[in-house]
Order: sequence, then C-alpha cells, then structure tokens
Amino acid sequence: MSTPSTPHIPFVDVRHLTLQYKTTEHLVTATHDVSFHVEKGDRLILLGPSGCGKSTILKAIGGYMKPVGGSINLNGVEIKKPGSDRGMVFQEFDQLLPWKTALENIVFAIRETSQCSEVAAIQEARKWLKKVNLSKFENSYPHALSGGMKQRVAIARCLALKSKVILMDEPFASLDALTRQKMQEELFELWQETKFTMVFVTHSIDEAITLGTRIVMLSPHPGQVVAELNVDLSAYDSRNHPELIELKERISRILFKDQLDYVI
Amino acid sequence: MSTTKTITLNNLREEYEREVTAPVAHQEVKIELSLFERLYNISALRKGFILVLLAVIWQIYAVNLNNELMFPTFSDTIKGLGQVIQSGELVNRTLTSLKVLSIAYTSGILLAGTLTVIAITTRIGTDLLETLTAMFNPLPAIALLPLALLWFGLGNPSIIFVIIHAVTWPIALNIYSGFMGVSNTLRMVGKNYELTGLRFVFKILIPAAFAHILTGLKVGWAFSWRTLIAAELVFGVSSGSGGLGWFIFEKKNQLDINLVFAGLLTIIIIGVVVENVIFKFIEKRTVIKWGMKF
Repeated sequence: MSTPSTPHIPFVDVRHLTLQYKTTEHLVTATHDVSFHVEKGDRLILLGPSGCGKSTILKAIGGYMKPVGGSINLNGVEIKKPGSDRGMVFQEFDQLLPWKTALENIVFAIRETSQCSEVAAIQEARKWLKKVNLSKFENSYPHALSGGMKQRVAIARCLALKSKVILMDEPFASLDALTRQKMQEELFELWQETKFTMVFVTHSIDEAITLGTRIVMLSPHPGQVVAELNVDLSAYDSRNHPELIELKERISRILFKDQLDYVI
Repeated sequence: MSTTKTITLNNLREEYEREVTAPVAHQEVKIELSLFERLYNISALRKGFILVLLAVIWQIYAVNLNNELMFPTFSDTIKGLGQVIQSGELVNRTLTSLKVLSIAYTSGILLAGTLTVIAITTRIGTDLLETLTAMFNPLPAIALLPLALLWFGLGNPSIIFVIIHAVTWPIALNIYSGFMGVSNTLRMVGKNYELTGLRFVFKILIPAAFAHILTGLKVGWAFSWRTLIAAELVFGVSSGSGGLGWFIFEKKNQLDINLVFAGLLTIIIIGVVVENVIFKFIEKRTVIKWGMKF
C-alpha cells in the first residue's frame, strides 16, 4: 500500500506503521506496515479481532508508544509523545481520578491543559456534564457512579479538552448490552453537535457500523490492514436494512475468511 | 405431544403489559431500633466498654494481689496520673517527647518521599531504594543508638537520628509500593494531560497511592513512637530534660511504680488517640470518601 502523492496533507496520517512491544519473554510485533488516513470530522473505526493490534495503534497515535517503523503525523507534525491534542477515552472504568468528583475530573482536565480560569473551567465542565446527562451527579465521586456513568464522564472530560482528534479505546466494551446501545446513540448525538474527529477501536461489527464513517479492518498476529470501507448508518431508515445486513456479512467474510469458526 | 403441553401451559398464563405505578416511598417507613441496638451500633461505645472491663479486671486483680511495688491498682495509677498532670511534670515530659518525635517523624517522611520520587523516576534510584530498604529495614533502630551517641553525643540529636532510621524505611516501602500500584490507565490519563515530573507525582501518583501512603504513615508513626520511648529509656538519662521514657525510668528508680504505670498509660493513650482520632479523621476525608478504602 502506498500513500497517494497528492498535495493534500491528511489530518492524521498513519504511514507504514510497525509496532512492537516487549513482554517478559517475547518481543511481540503488534502491527506490521499499517497505513491509513483520518480526515477532519471522520469517525474512523479500527475493527478487528483480539490480537490485531488495534489498541496498540491507538496508543501509538496517543503518543504512548514509539513506532519501530513508519510514522504518525497529526496535521503534518510527527507525533512523538502524549498530548492533550489527542484526548483519550479508555475501556477501563478506573480512568476517572477517584479523588475528584465528576465535575472536578473535567475541571482538572481543562485547567491542566489550558490557561482557563477556575470559574470558566467549572462553567465549561458543567456544560459538558449536561451534554452527557449527568448534571445531577456533578458532585458524585467516581466510585458512586455506575460503569456507564463513568464512561460518560470520561467522554465528557475528553471532549472538554477540545482535542484535535479523540481516541477511544473500546470505551463501551465493559458495559452491558443495553447500556452499550444507549451510549452508542448518545455518542453519535454528541458527534452531531460538535463534529469532532474520532478514532474508535472496537471488536464489534455492529458497533463499527453504528458509529463509523470509515472502517479500517485489521487481521491478527501481526495486525495488518485487510480492508477499508465507507459506512453511513444515517442513510438507512432501519438497522435491518438489507444493505446493512449485507455489509455486516461482507465485513465478517473479510475478517474471518480463513478462520470459519473464529470467535471474537 | 410436547407441543400441545406447551400450548396448554402458556394458555394458563396470559401475556400482559402494564404501566408502572409510582413506587412506595420506603424512606418514610422507618422502624425505630431498640435503645440497646442503637448503642451497640456505636463502635466507640463498644470499644469503651472493653476498656472499662479491662480496667475493672486490673483493679480486682491488683487489690487481690495487694503488692503496690509490683502491680499497683488502677485507682492508684489514676490518682498518680492526676498528680503528675497537675504538677505539670507529665505534661512537660510528654511535650518534650512529642517535640523530638515530630522533628524526627517529619524528617523521616521527607527523606522517604524524596527517596521514593527518585526511585520511580530513575532506574538507579529504584535499585538504590530497594538495596537500602533491604539493608536497613530489618535493622532495629535501637541497635544504632551506641553509634548515634558516638556521632551526635548525648541528647536529642541521637534520638532523632535513630527515629529517622526507624520511620524512613517502612514509609518509603509503603509509598513505593503505592506508586507502583497506580493503574496504568491513570498514568496514561496523567500523561494525556501532559503532566510530567513533579507535577505528575503530586497531581496523579500521590493521590492515587494515598491509601498506601497513609498506611506507611501509620506504620511509621507506630515505629517512631516505640523507638522514641525505647531510646529515652536507654539513654534519656543523660539529656537535660527527659521525655516520657525518661519519666518512666526515673519513677522506677524512685519506686513510684504507680507513676510508671501512669507513664505507660499516657503512652497508650497518645497512641490510641493518634490512630483513632487523627488518622481516622484523615482517612474519612480522603480514601474513604474516594471509595479507595472501606
């Protein structure tokens, strides 16, 4: 795969990315020669089974990992370390600072990453909490919130950073099915309001189709891009539209062509 | 055959949908607990009862023994305690002890904190801390007293030195294991906000590891208090105005055994107050409020 040599500079440009990490015994190659672009306003989904390095790619975009080969550019500048221009939402519920209330968590994020006054930060934080329907819980500590609420605070906190791109690492994977569906809808509504750029990692085909504008599919061990597809759920009046069902089957075929009974 | 059975069974139970009604306000239905139950729920009261019981047993045993040189009664001890408090002797001795203690305890915390911060930021620092704690943590503080006397002479500097030794290692170990236990997710969140160096330590690591740090402070407090009394008992003789340990030593020499008991009681009371009032207070406002300890 080669990048087109047009003068247009992609917003996030992942080029020939090879990532490795060490375990105590092995040097594992997580991804091999992965390339894709993210454009402004994209909801790009990294989709693949476990072991395809999708989370590792996200961490590399976040600046937590140095590529062994290739590069990642944001707005034409190479990413070298973590930064608030790439806000992250994690899968784990413990991502909120347990010693701060929901509101304080967002205020902290704003104040540490900008020159905002405390009063303005509180106002801003309240605005975001309202957007995720948690105004009533602004003074609750994380341990008193449910999993879904914690993830909503984390999303609000991340959006309050006003990052150039938002990185979501399976934020709904630990939630129950009903909550997950609700959160997907809420996230989509938030996107419609603010049109942020998002890279979203998931292993769920349904989630990919629900949330994505473009789906990058990866194969496992090591992760390599096997396909990129465009998708737009809002073009269909029903989730059971024949074209969507066909798309799902196509994705399954691409992901699991040589492992018929592969379980995600 | 089986299908007919299912149909008949299902016919027995009709399907339905319904509007939910407003729930009964359970909050208003309160049942008063009996007076005994309410009192029994107060932990301080239960513990107080145990203390009273112990005092009664003490009194009965000592009265029966009838040997005030070996084992004075509880009432004699309290009487003596009242006298030395009134004369100001005990208060002065306690203040002397606490002053030495707070200097040493604070220095120990600062030293432990510095060592741990170096340990988590550099690899050689980690090795340094691990080696030093492995060497010095098992070494009883009192064993260093002779050396301390040689280096710092008679008096408080020597005692402060051994107390610092006694508190630094356990506190450092606890802070270090607390820092190591901070979840990777929280670290990544901190890095995401571009927090580095000391800002990262103070804004992420310390609050996240606070439960461990508090444990370290508690252990350190107990060690320092014990070491202080022991050091005063052994070498307090020579320092101008002795502390509580010296008070106990002196009263034993004067055969005021009830005052020896009064001194011991004071040590116990201070220990209990610090543990159950001061540390409990800090815990309630921090780790318990944050759901990091129950």
